[in-house]
Amino acid sequence: MNRLLIDIGSTYFKIAEQGKIEQYFRNFDKSILNDLESKCADVISSYNKDDVYICSSANGGLSTLIIGLSNSFSLKYAVNIAFNSGINIIDTVLYNNISNETPPKDNIDVVIIVGGINSVDNIFDEKIFEYLNNVNYQNIVFVGTEKSHNYLQNNIKDIVLLENIISDKLQIREDELKSYLTDLYQADIMGKEDIKQLYALTNNQIFSTPYIVNRALPKIHEHIDVADPFIVVDIGGATTDIHYSRDLVNDNILSSSGYDRLVFKKLGVYKSRESLVHIAKQNEFVFELLEHLNVTENILEEKSDEATRVLMQLSIFLVLYKVSKHHASYIELNLEILNNIILTGGITQVLTQEDVDNITLFFYKKILHFHHTPKIILDKNYEIWTYR
Amino acid sequence: MKVVTGVVGNDIHVVANRLIDISLAERGFEVFNLGVNTYLEEFLDAVIETDADVLLISSLNGEAEGWCRDLQILKSQYNFRDNVIFMIGGNLVVGETTAEEIVPRFKSYGFDLVFHQVDLNEGLDQLELFLKASK
Amino acid sequence: MTLLQREREIIVRNEYIDHFDFDEVKEFISGASKNLFISHRFKNSKEILVQPRGGFPTYDKVFELYKEFKDANVDVLPLTIDSNTRLNDYATAKKMLSLSEANDTDMLNGYPLVNHGYRTTRKMITHYDTPVSLRHGTPDARLLIEVALASGIFEIEGGPITYLLPYSKNFPMDKAFLYWKYVERVCAEYSKLNEPINRESFGPLSATLQPPAIVIVIQLLEMLLSLEEGVKSFSVSFSQTGSMLQDIVSSNVIKKLARHYADKFGHDDATINLVYHQWMGAFPYNREYSDSLINTSTVIASMIGADKIITKTRNEAFGIPTKEANALAVANVKYTLGMLKGLPKVGDEEEEENLTNEVHEILEAVFNDGADTLWRQVFNSIKNGYIDIPFSPHIINANKVITVRDKNSNIRFFKRGSVPISDKSFAFEKSKISLKDGDRVVDKIIQDIGIML
Ligand code: B12
Repeated sequence: MNRLLIDIGSTYFKIAEQGKIEQYFRNFDKSILNDLESKCADVISSYNKDDVYICSSANGGLSTLIIGLSNSFSLKYAVNIAFNSGINIIDTVLYNNISNETPPKDNIDVVIIVGGINSVDNIFDEKIFEYLNNVNYQNIVFVGTEKSHNYLQNNIKDIVLLENIISDKLQIREDELKSYLTDLYQADIMGKEDIKQLYALTNNQIFSTPYIVNRALPKIHEHIDVADPFIVVDIGGATTDIHYSRDLVNDNILSSSGYDRLVFKKLGVYKSRESLVHIAKQNEFVFELLEHLNVTENILEEKSDEATRVLMQLSIFLVLYKVSKHHASYIELNLEILNNIILTGGITQVLTQEDVDNITLFFYKKILHFHHTPKIILDKNYEIWTYR
Repeated sequence: MKVVTGVVGNDIHVVANRLIDISLAERGFEVFNLGVNTYLEEFLDAVIETDADVLLISSLNGEAEGWCRDLQILKSQYNFRDNVIFMIGGNLVVGETTAEEIVPRFKSYGFDLVFHQVDLNEGLDQLELFLKASK
Repeated sequence: MTLLQREREIIVRNEYIDHFDFDEVKEFISGASKNLFISHRFKNSKEILVQPRGGFPTYDKVFELYKEFKDANVDVLPLTIDSNTRLNDYATAKKMLSLSEANDTDMLNGYPLVNHGYRTTRKMITHYDTPVSLRHGTPDARLLIEVALASGIFEIEGGPITYLLPYSKNFPMDKAFLYWKYVERVCAEYSKLNEPINRESFGPLSATLQPPAIVIVIQLLEMLLSLEEGVKSFSVSFSQTGSMLQDIVSSNVIKKLARHYADKFGHDDATINLVYHQWMGAFPYNREYSDSLINTSTVIASMIGADKIITKTRNEAFGIPTKEANALAVANVKYTLGMLKGLPKVGDEEEEENLTNEVHEILEAVFNDGADTLWRQVFNSIKNGYIDIPFSPHIINANKVITVRDKNSNIRFFKRGSVPISDKSFAFEKSKISLKDGDRVVDKIIQDIGIML
C-alpha cells in the first residue's frame, strides 16, 4: 500500500512517497496547510486521507520544570515519564538545593513536583512556595507522597494531585502522569491552529516527529551500516533531539523499547539561535573550540553562511557535552562505548562529513581525552523518519 | 522500621539479596530491595525517598571498597536525619583479608556496622541488638 | 567488504586499543600452533581435560599463575576477565590496572584484556603453547573476543542467554542476541583458517537450584544459535547439581539431545563436547570439606564421561584463590582422575525419560513461536517465561519457577510458572518432593541452597 509521509519542521517540511523525499523551505507568511497545498497540491490530492501520515515538530512541544526529592527516583522517574509522553524537558531542580536555584525566566507549561513514597510525611516546606512564587507556569501537578496532598493543596492554587509515580516498592508507576501529560500535549497541538488545520489532509493521528524517529530506530540497521550502541542526533531549527539505545545508560528502569530520547529545547540553529549562542558562550570550552575551527568570537554575532556552519558545529559539541559524564544533568550517556553517531535534520544539508568529523574529534579529545571517535554518519536525505 | 537494601556496584550475586529480603520481612522490617547492581547514590536516594531507618548494603564480588570509599563525602551532600544506620556485609574484599583488618577500615568510610563473611542471620541479630541499644 | 567486516572495523576503532591489524591477526591464526586449539586437543585426547579458573589484573601475575598451573600439569588454561571489562568499562579497568601495577595489590577481580591488548597478551599465550579459554560474562563481548582471538585464545565461553540471565540486571536482551551473533560469526570465520575455534556455553547459570530441564534447553539453544552462524566446534556444559544421580541423568540426556538437535538442524559436521563444572553454588567455609566436595565432583565427571572438567578450589568460599591454592586443586583433580579409568556406564531409565520429555516439551514451545528467526523465538520464549531460571538478577527473567530438592537431593520443579512442561512431567516432579506439613518452602529453599555448607 502506498503512503504519503509528511514531516512538518520548524524550518523545512518534507514529503516522502515510496522512498523519494522532497524538501521545501517553509514560507512563514502562509499557514502550514496553505503552504503545503501551494507547494505540493498534486501529490497530496492523489492520496486518500487514510494513507497520509503527518508528524510535526513545528509546535515545539511543552516545557516542563521538575522539582524532585532525589536524582535516582523522583527526578529520574518524572523525566522518563515526561519524555515518553512527548514532552520537552527544560529544567530539573533537586529539592535539597531549591533555595540556591534561580527559577527559570521563561514561561513553563507544566511544573511537576515529586518526592517520597506514600508513607512519608513532611517532605516539603515553605521553600517550595517561595521558589514557585518566582516561576511563571500554566499548570502544576504533584505526583509524590499522598501525605503531602493536603499541605500542597492548601498552599498552591490549582495544583493537580495524581497517583504517586513512586510505588511503595520504589518502582516507577507511570500511568496517571503519562496520560495527564499526553493530554496536555494533544491539547497543545490542538491549540495551535496551524497544526489543527492539517487534519484536513489526514485521517490519522498527528504525532510529534521525535516520537516517529524513535519508533524507527529498531529498523535503522535495514537501511544503513550502523553498529550498536549508537545515537541519533537531530539538530533542527528550533530543538535538538537525541535518541539513544538504552545500553548507553546505566539507569535501572525497565523500559519496553530499546531506545529512549532526550530533547534540548533551545539548541536549534534558526529559531533559537540566540539561546544557542548564549549557551555556547557559557561553555568553558567554547573559545578553544572557536580557535580550533579557526574563527573568532565575532562569528557568533554574524548572520553569514559561515556563521551558520559554525553554529551547527557548536550545537553538535554542546549536545555531546550535555550528555557526557562531565556535565551533571539529568542524563548521562556512556559516550565512551559509542560506535556510531548518526546526524539528521537540517544540519545535514549544511555541514560536510569533514565538518562533523572535525567537531566530533574535538569533543572526544577535549572532553573524553580520546583519540578516536565513533564513526559519524550523515543522514543526508533526512530519511530516518520514514523507516518503518 | 524501614530498611533499604541491595547489592552495591557492578555486583550481580543475587542469592543472598533475595534471602536478606525474606529474612528482614520476617523480622518485621519494611523492606525496600533495590536488587543487584545498585550504586551508592541510588542507595542514599532511596533512604531519602522512603525515610528509611537502616541502609543495608551487600557486596559479594570483592569490589565493595571501590564503591563505598566515598560514603562520608556523599553523606555530607544529603540531609539525613540523625539516626540512620549504615550497614554493610558480605564478602568485602578481593582475596583473603581478616575481619580485624577490614571492619575498622569500613567504619572509617562511614559505616556503623560491618560484617565480613558473617552469616546474614547473625548480622541481622546484631542489627536488632544495635537498634535496641541506640534507643 | 562484507557487512560483518564493516562492523568489525567500527568495533576495533576504540580508544583503549592500539591499531588493530586484521591482516596480521589472520596470518597469526592461520599459522598458530595446533597446541593452542582446544578443538584439536578434544580430537586427539581420550582423557578428561582439566581446566581451572583464574585471572589477575597484571600481566606478570597471570604469567606466574600460568607457570604454577603448568607445573600442576594443567590441560587448559583459563583467562578470567575483570568485571569492569565485562561491562565494557575500559576506563575504570585502566585506572584500576595502573593502581594494581603501582601498588602491587589486586584492584581488579580479573585480567583487563582489552587494556593489555593482543600484542602483549599473545606473548604469554604463545609462550605456554597451551589452549586458553576465555571466561568473562560479558553481554557485549564484540571487542573483547576480537582481542582474545588475536591474542591466541581459541576457546570463547558464554552466549546470549547464559551470560545475560545470571550476570546482568538490565542489559537489553535483544541487543545481547545481536552482539553474540557477531561473536559467533567471527569465530566461524577464523575457524576456516586453522583448527576450529571452540565455543562453549555456560551451563551453571546462576548456580543455585537450577532445574536440569531448563539448563539443557538453554544449552541446546545456544548451541543451535552458534552452529547456525557456522561454528564447527561447540561445548555444552552443566554444573554439579548436588545429586550424583541427577548429574548422570543430565549428562546422558544432554549428550543424546545435543547430537539429535545438531543433526536435525543440518549441522552433522559439527563436533559437540561435554563440559562439567565442579560445584558452582555456595561452598563450605571449611577447606577440608571443600577438598572432599572437589574430589566427589571429579569422580562424577568421570562417571558421566565429560570431555573437560572445570575446577574449583578449597578457598572458594573465602575469596579469589592464590595461585598456589588454585594449582593445588588442579594437581589434586589430575591425581584423582588417574584412579578413575574405564568406569561402567550407568543410568536411570525412568528419570532420563522424564527429563528428555521435559526438554522436548519446552523446545517444542520455543520452536512454535511465530517469530521468523531462532534468536527471536528464544527471546520471546524468555519474555513469556517459557524459559525461566531461579535466582536470575535480570529484569526480563520471569522468576516464577520455584525449585526444591527431593530427599535424594535431586532438584525438582515445585512451581513450574509458565514453563511449558506437560502435566504428566510436572506430576512426576511433584511426586518426588516431600514437604512435611508445616514445613515452609522458604526454609526448604534456604536449606537447599546451603546443601554443601
Ligand atoms: C553462585 C556464585 C556466582 C554465580 C552468581 C549467580 C547470581 N546471579 O547470583 C555466578 C556463577 C554467576 C558468579 C559470578 C561471578 N562471581 Co561468584 N560466586 C558464587 C558463589 C559460589 C556462591 C555465592 C552464593 O550465592 N552464596 C549463597 C548466598 C546465600 O550466600 P553469599 O552470597 O555467600 O552471602 C552470605 C554472606 O556473605 C551473607 N551476606 C551477604 N550480604 C550480607 C550483608 C550483610 C549486612 C550481612 C550481615 C551478611 C551478608 O549472607 C549470606 C549467607 O550467610 C561464591 C563463592 C561462595 N560463597 O561459595 C562466588 C564468589 C562470590 N564469586 C566471586 C566472583 C569474583 C565472581 C565473578 C566476578 C567471576 C569471577 N571472576 O570469578 C562473577 C561476578 C561478576 C559480577 N559482576 O559480579 C568471588 C568473589 C571474590 C571475592 N570477594 O574476593 C567468590 C567469593 C568466588 C571466589 N572465591 O572467587 N558467582
